Amino acid sequence: MSEGNKKTVLIMKEKHQVPQDVKDELKFFVKTKKAILKALKEKRMTVPELSEELNMPKDKVLYFTMSLLKYGFVAVDEIDDMDEYFYYKIKDNG
Amino acid sequence: MQENQNIKEYDALVIGAGIAGGEAALNLANVGNKVLLVDKELTVGGKMILLSKVFPTLDCAACITTPKVSEIARHSGITTLTSTEASDIIQKDDGTFEALITTQPRYVVVEDCTGCQLCEEACPVNVEDQYQYGLVGRKAAFIPFSIASPRAAAIDIENCTLCGACERACPTHCIDFTQTVEKYTIKCKSVVVATGFQLFDPTLIPRYGFGRFKNVITSMQMERQLAPTRPFNTVLRPSDGKMPDNIAYVLCTGSRDKTVGTPICSQVCCMYSTKQAQLLMGALPMADITLYYLHIRAFGKGFNEFYAQAQSMGVEYVKGKVAKITEKEDGNLILRYEDINTGKVTETEHDMVVLSVGILPNEGITKLFTNRKLELDPFNYVSQSNPLESPAMTTIEGVFVAGVASAPMDIPDSILSAGAASSESANYIRHISKKTLEV
Repeated sequence: MSEGNKKTVLIMKEKHQVPQDVKDELKFFVKTKKAILKALKEKRMTVPELSEELNMPKDKVLYFTMSLLKYGFVAVDEIDDMDEYFYYKIKDNG
Repeated sequence: MQENQNIKEYDALVIGAGIAGGEAALNLANVGNKVLLVDKELTVGGKMILLSKVFPTLDCAACITTPKVSEIARHSGITTLTSTEASDIIQKDDGTFEALITTQPRYVVVEDCTGCQLCEEACPVNVEDQYQYGLVGRKAAFIPFSIASPRAAAIDIENCTLCGACERACPTHCIDFTQTVEKYTIKCKSVVVATGFQLFDPTLIPRYGFGRFKNVITSMQMERQLAPTRPFNTVLRPSDGKMPDNIAYVLCTGSRDKTVGTPICSQVCCMYSTKQAQLLMGALPMADITLYYLHIRAFGKGFNEFYAQAQSMGVEYVKGKVAKITEKEDGNLILRYEDINTGKVTETEHDMVVLSVGILPNEGITKLFTNRKLELDPFNYVSQSNPLESPAMTTIEGVFVAGVASAPMDIPDSILSAGAASSESANYIRHISKKTLEV
């Protein structure tokens, strides 16, 4: 809903300052998202493989990969030969 | 802050819109009462709407909750306010009440939101999703979950970068950052307290490693992993995304444990763990599931058969209190426990551990009332002044208690309790209305 033609977010910006940690979190997410999608563009990967490629802890890789799955950037592929880890691939629209 | 000077009048104020509060509100409205139903969360449905299935029937929890939630939303006798809390409740001399209602801004005009999720798509932020218990992310402009009611977006202003992408993407222009806290004073004839429960925080038992060991999760996190709207593509270990094949449950985590201040049984953990074990046998057919317990309390209708069914499916029940959990380098976990049947201290390895956390009363209920004292029982649940003859009656005339606010109980018992509360509340409303007419 606009006040005249003014977007209401501009009114909020005048009285509310975005905390630095929120800005930092956004930067980190954007960077991680790009890195995961770039790696998956090359080939499908499991969480441990992505972790090695990105040099990031496996639990963090799982969290971000699952978030990207939820947002529609990543799709699930087959499970590996040991029936342990799923492969993840980039989604066509990702 | 906006203050609304018009005092609205209702027959009943129901605090808490979980399964008990929702049921009480529906019962009261169905007999002609005007009800105000408030919940501090962004959606009604409480914790039940987040469950996978219910025991012992294994019915889909959402399939039971959703029609009820939708009936609440459509009922002409019920006004539902989410992100809203009641406080400063005063009982007047004529037995009626006045309450202050405070609604936090959602930054979305709910009536105009179509739930299209374009704002969610446009939002660049990623933060932990509280409705998935931190297992996955969500946006700062978000719909809590797919079956939320109202199914409308909300802006998490604490994590919003104020980029304005959501407002630009919204086709109905329903995003409104000018919203502020709103305060209402209402009058009502009766109050139903249905404030539910909170889950035990397992970090209070550091020897179980929750928060330090990624593969030690809570039963609510497993519940989400088993639900159709799950955070992962299937049940996975949070440490590395491996499909687990040897899962342990530690029962009585934060129940029947004086050392953490929760001496009583939570009533539901044995059965929800048995339910999850059965669901896991379906989701991971090759997995071994072991439940470490003190006593199995299968006291309700069909519960013992449900327990026997789990055993016949291959779920292993080990009588023994887990003393300590340690983590190996590969993320597997070693459980050290005393096997009661053999009397030996034993260690076993599992690749994932679920802590069956107990339930605790919600705090701060007594502070809602100003000139009357709502008494609590020794375990901090709302005291029932006459539990045999009038189970919903509290120490304040006209205030009734429904569901887990009065004691730990399962879903059918919560619904029964809500039935008692709404029936007693309706009687009180009738009595007060008659008295007012006579005056």
